[in-house]
Amino acid sequence: MIVLGSVALGLAVGALLLRLAGHDPVASYAAMVRGAVGSRFAIGETLVRAAPLAAIGVGVSIALRAGVFTIGSEGQLVMGAVGATLAALWLREGPPFLTISGAFVAAAVFGALWASLPAVLRARFEVNEILSTLLFNYFAAYLLGYLLREPLKPPSSPISQSEVLPPAALLPSLLPGTRLHVGVLVAIAAAGAFALWVRSVPGFRVDLFGQNSTLARHVGVSPTWTIVGVMLVAGLLSGVAGWSQVAGLHRRLYVEVASGVGYLGVLVAVLGGLRPLGVIAASLLMAALQAGGVFMEQTAHIPATLSDVVQALILLSFAARLGPRLWRPRASAGAEIAAEESAVAGAPTRGT
Amino acid sequence: MGTTYGREQVPALEVREISRSFGSLRALDRVDLTLRTGEVHALVGENGAGKSTLAKIVAGSLRPDIGVMRLFGEPFRPRSRSEGAAAGVAYVRQQLSLVRGLTLAENLQLGRPGATPMFEPTRAAQELQEVSERFGLRLHPDHLIDDLPLAERQKAEIVMAVAWGAGVLLLDEPSSALGPQEVDALLHLCSSLRDSGVAILFISHRLREIAAIADRVTVLRQGRVMASAVEVAEFDPHEIATLMIGDLPVSTRGRPVPKQGTVRLEANGLQVRVPHGPGLRGVSLSVRGGEIVGVVGVAGSGQDELAQVLTGLIHPDVGRVSIDGNDVTGSARGAMEAGVSYLPGDRSDGLALELSVADNVTAKRPTDPRLARHGLRLPKAIRDFARTLLVSFEVRPPVPEMPARLLSGGNQQKLLAARELETTPSVLVAVGPTKGLDPVATKVMRDRIFDVATRGGAVVVISADMDEVLDLAHRVVVLSAGDVTDEFPAWECTPARLGAAMAGITA
Repeated sequence: MIVLGSVALGLAVGALLLRLAGHDPVASYAAMVRGAVGSRFAIGETLVRAAPLAAIGVGVSIALRAGVFTIGSEGQLVMGAVGATLAALWLREGPPFLTISGAFVAAAVFGALWASLPAVLRARFEVNEILSTLLFNYFAAYLLGYLLREPLKPPSSPISQSEVLPPAALLPSLLPGTRLHVGVLVAIAAAGAFALWVRSVPGFRVDLFGQNSTLARHVGVSPTWTIVGVMLVAGLLSGVAGWSQVAGLHRRLYVEVASGVGYLGVLVAVLGGLRPLGVIAASLLMAALQAGGVFMEQTAHIPATLSDVVQALILLSFAARLGPRLWRPRASAGAEIAAEESAVAGAPTRGT
Repeated sequence: MGTTYGREQVPALEVREISRSFGSLRALDRVDLTLRTGEVHALVGENGAGKSTLAKIVAGSLRPDIGVMRLFGEPFRPRSRSEGAAAGVAYVRQQLSLVRGLTLAENLQLGRPGATPMFEPTRAAQELQEVSERFGLRLHPDHLIDDLPLAERQKAEIVMAVAWGAGVLLLDEPSSALGPQEVDALLHLCSSLRDSGVAILFISHRLREIAAIADRVTVLRQGRVMASAVEVAEFDPHEIATLMIGDLPVSTRGRPVPKQGTVRLEANGLQVRVPHGPGLRGVSLSVRGGEIVGVVGVAGSGQDELAQVLTGLIHPDVGRVSIDGNDVTGSARGAMEAGVSYLPGDRSDGLALELSVADNVTAKRPTDPRLARHGLRLPKAIRDFARTLLVSFEVRPPVPEMPARLLSGGNQQKLLAARELETTPSVLVAVGPTKGLDPVATKVMRDRIFDVATRGGAVVVISADMDEVLDLAHRVVVLSAGDVTDEFPAWECTPARLGAAMAGITA
């Protein structure tokens, strides 16, 4: 009941804003809903946006449960996309199976590697990972900018982007008439693996470390392996999300490949209470809001910024209720700080 | 020593019939105390005697259940620490209250009770200068609190309190984190303050310092005044120590002595440096299978560090720990594999309070084939296993799914025991194992600990409870300021010898 109450409040405030801006709230919301689930294309949009969020959300959840506050998914996604692109170009001739797998593996490795230095810095030198992973996001962005201006830019193109990926690398479509692609299945697999992880013995030991590192050490958990392990996993999954965006959705590498998805993934993790079903639900919600928001802009002519505000209000209203039910890592305050940092750093940019 | 005042002088502080309970624990029981102006009045007692509780009541952070107080003759009923401070009672604790990130001058001007938040640098600097000179200190107005060593911060806080008009100063264990020269400087300052008319309540268990600075001494034990306002001339440390600890049961060992085997736990030359406090300054210990060693000492003598080094959670700066011949120095994992069980002094170190009781009690054996298959945990099996264990260790309520934080303190202690004593360890390190347990549960826990020795384990019990140590231990080791100051078989233990060693006076 409280959930509905707070959502209703969020919708009401949004409606007020829309009205003040001179738009019809009912029509706007209707457009939003249509854009999220109102047609085959819409559902495809929602799912295809949810997939990378879910994959990243899973990785970050595992880390947050261990008390490691990694917010480097944005940069890891970028590096994964870079890795996928490089592999795709290198394997352009090969049979699609090889090219696709090669790009997938490259993305995973690049993402994990990008997380590895902050991981070691945290494990060995207690360098705050919120800082280090955040800074690495900037490194990745600049690196991407350079790559797209020089090595990867085809001579014919005036703007910074790579050439279109070779056909062998592109992910087949899953649902004709939509942008939904095979990469979504990887996200589903990740969520399934997460569901197994939280019931597993290693998962328990990692969670125990996040709850009480002294107790965990007493029962033989290695702090170094735990910290580095979860950060690599988060990096790997974020890298894979990058592969999914490049090989499945955009089909080429360009500067806005991430456009805040990495940061939203962190929010998805926290909003989802660091639990498998929660992460899935949160990623679907956020994706639905985004897809709906874009549609609302286009059909009801709501300015993009207002649409963002409405999305944020609805998100906030869900978060307000979900807050108390958050799986309580002992450092849950830290999880919230990490989420705030990532929200500030990844102020929504205009995605596709 | 101090100047004597005539009886016409109104006492700075009068405490009458003050009592305070926390639930069923009677922390203070009809305490009377009179503090004169221009005196250093020492309040001594063991841990848990009620010294800090009394100080908090006088300061205003805590309210008494019954009793009255008078400050310079007027009724005194502060409703908060700041009210107390405004009335002139300053409470200086170990966690100092000066604001970090600000300078001394800023703290002086902005920390004054009732100050407006307007900072006037020149006036503040002047004030600081005056008060520094008055008490022979060298305080620089622009120095940041953060840059000052602890001893300096403490002195600064004390003189600032006086500058703000405090007539009564409550110093709670002021010397516990100080080295010998710093202690001397502190005592010198107290002396100057006393001579200028400030009334100081000096709370400490360090009898040597008290002998040096106090005019009169009051002894508290378990919330009651055992000796009131003893003049320093009549001060006998051994007698005071006996009053602090009380009479020990004459025959305390009704237990059969287990056969003692080879040395199982060996620690050599342990040194641990810590930011505040003495740490460990060269402690060696060896314990045989079947033997129980009791480690006693006042709080802050290095007990926690010792426990953490013996269990591999801390790597000592110097020294080795080995169990059954295996070097486990600094390796918690190694210690676990060698069969160490640990009951920490702070329960929250040993429990994951947000996880369920079942998770906590099975945390040492997650891969047990009864509890997990193919790497996946079996929730029902875990619950059943946990329930059996909970019942046998009398954890109430025995609900495996419940989050551990909902258990009462005593039951959390039993939960710890359920996990750590479920299988017989090779070495048991127990810190304050019966804290918070009612008498029946206490007996059961002690029996279990004794049982570990009967089955060949080497046991170290670190405790502030004399009855406990004498009930269980074959040998007593006294820890004081990071060193072992005395060691003797349990039957040679007398209150005086124990109290003196704990207070830092070697027999």
